[in-house]
Amino acid sequence: MPNPLIIILHIGVFIVLAPLISGLISKIKNNLRMRRGQSLLQPYYNLAKLFSKGEVIADTASWIFRAAPFAVFASALCAALFVPVFMAAAPLPGVGDFLALIFIFALGRFFLALAALDTASSFGGMGSSREMFISALAEPALCMAVFAIFLRCGTTDIPSIFASCGVSVSGLAAALALFLVAIAETSRMPLDNQETHLELTMVHEAMVLEYSGRRLALIEAASYIKQLVLFLLIAQIIFPVTPEYRAAPAQIFLSLAWYFGRLIIIAAAVALLEVSVAKMRLFRAADFLGFAFVTGIIASLCAILGI
Amino acid sequence: MHGIILAAVLISTYLMAIAKRMPALIRSFRYQSFCLFLSTFIIALAERRPGLYIIAALIFALKVCLIPYLLYRIIGRIKVKQDIGLFINPQMSLFCALVFTYLSWLVAGYLSAPEGYPKTEMLTAAFFMVSQGMFLMIFRKTALAQIIGLLTMENGLFLLASAVSGGMPFFVEIAVFFDVFMSVLIMGFFVYRINNLFTHIDVHKLSRLKR
Repeated sequence: MPNPLIIILHIGVFIVLAPLISGLISKIKNNLRMRRGQSLLQPYYNLAKLFSKGEVIADTASWIFRAAPFAVFASALCAALFVPVFMAAAPLPGVGDFLALIFIFALGRFFLALAALDTASSFGGMGSSREMFISALAEPALCMAVFAIFLRCGTTDIPSIFASCGVSVSGLAAALALFLVAIAETSRMPLDNQETHLELTMVHEAMVLEYSGRRLALIEAASYIKQLVLFLLIAQIIFPVTPEYRAAPAQIFLSLAWYFGRLIIIAAAVALLEVSVAKMRLFRAADFLGFAFVTGIIASLCAILGI
Repeated sequence: MHGIILAAVLISTYLMAIAKRMPALIRSFRYQSFCLFLSTFIIALAERRPGLYIIAALIFALKVCLIPYLLYRIIGRIKVKQDIGLFINPQMSLFCALVFTYLSWLVAGYLSAPEGYPKTEMLTAAFFMVSQGMFLMIFRKTALAQIIGLLTMENGLFLLASAVSGGMPFFVEIAVFFDVFMSVLIMGFFVYRINNLFTHIDVHKLSRLKR
């Protein structure tokens, strides 16, 4: 029986830490563009503001619209439970593996797309159709990356992947594929833009356009958590070395520094990519994610060749 | 370490398959050549052959700096639209590239020795680059993209030579480099003339007689 205290602590770390990554990315982006940019803590202020506001729900909305944010948030938290953060093991050992993680994300996305269709606003329908288009392309690439990791490590259980696998070419290629997919999943620059609400280009924002107040805050928090989960996975696959978890204070400090350092590197890479590329046409998404798919296949090939 | 470079070569060659514009194609050729330079340099470090250092330096100077620079200058000069003219769209090209990878892996499996040279992964990458270069020459319309295809094939042959026998003899290599360099110069000039004469560089329109 897993310790409930540890589960609560684990989820708490995820919820508290996740918005910081978004703040960090937007800070780096703004600094790269020679702007001062918003504060690192701005996502927290946004969440606090949204939680304290009242909300407006369309008269035509059914229970799906009301329930969907909770489903999305719950699926993000559930995914977070599979990924180790401050211990070598995940808080729920043996419950879910990498493949389960993919489909738990898909569950949240399914509910979000349903909710966007529910109010029958034209933007919602457009947003969910685009989101489904992109995710249908992203999922095979993600699966391919997972298969490569499976071929390499012999397991899809996330803590054992973290524990057993060293640096390898197949791991790096799989991490590249995961990175490209994470760009798509977190609705970042070449495929989507988080910064604008321009009606022609928005994907994720179009889906959540009808939401306000607390429910919007839940959806935003869920997307922060999802982003953190994906970045953690990439970080762990690129830099698989985990310092030993001893109780000595210096050791704990070192492992925390290592943990944050990796995340900062990934965040910087994302920010750099976002600043340096232009938004793609929607149908170029097939090229972008097709490339991610092929990278996943290269990773599998390298795993078969044993390099 | 060598494996990472080979994977990078593969990825840059896939980038060529999905490139739709000339600068993107040249950029991916540059990445590919840079990976080739790194690979040669590492072999030179491991085997301590002074000739290989010179060859690595030549790769860097010619294929990473000079030839891409020349090609960029040509596309800047001819001012046609930068589309490279696809017969097969990027997704299908990517799919074809996957098939090529698989086939070259099969062929490499027959040819490679269980240990030592030639290594399966190097042979796979080399065959794949040669077939991808051929693919670019056949299925792209403009002359410049076909030049890149030829250069990719040349890169693949270089990798093949270093996979099979640890590199061609020094003087052969030098001769090949000057050959490639001269051919790029001449073909670049040729493309420029074609563009002046016909106001486009689409080679498929060249078969029609000019009135």
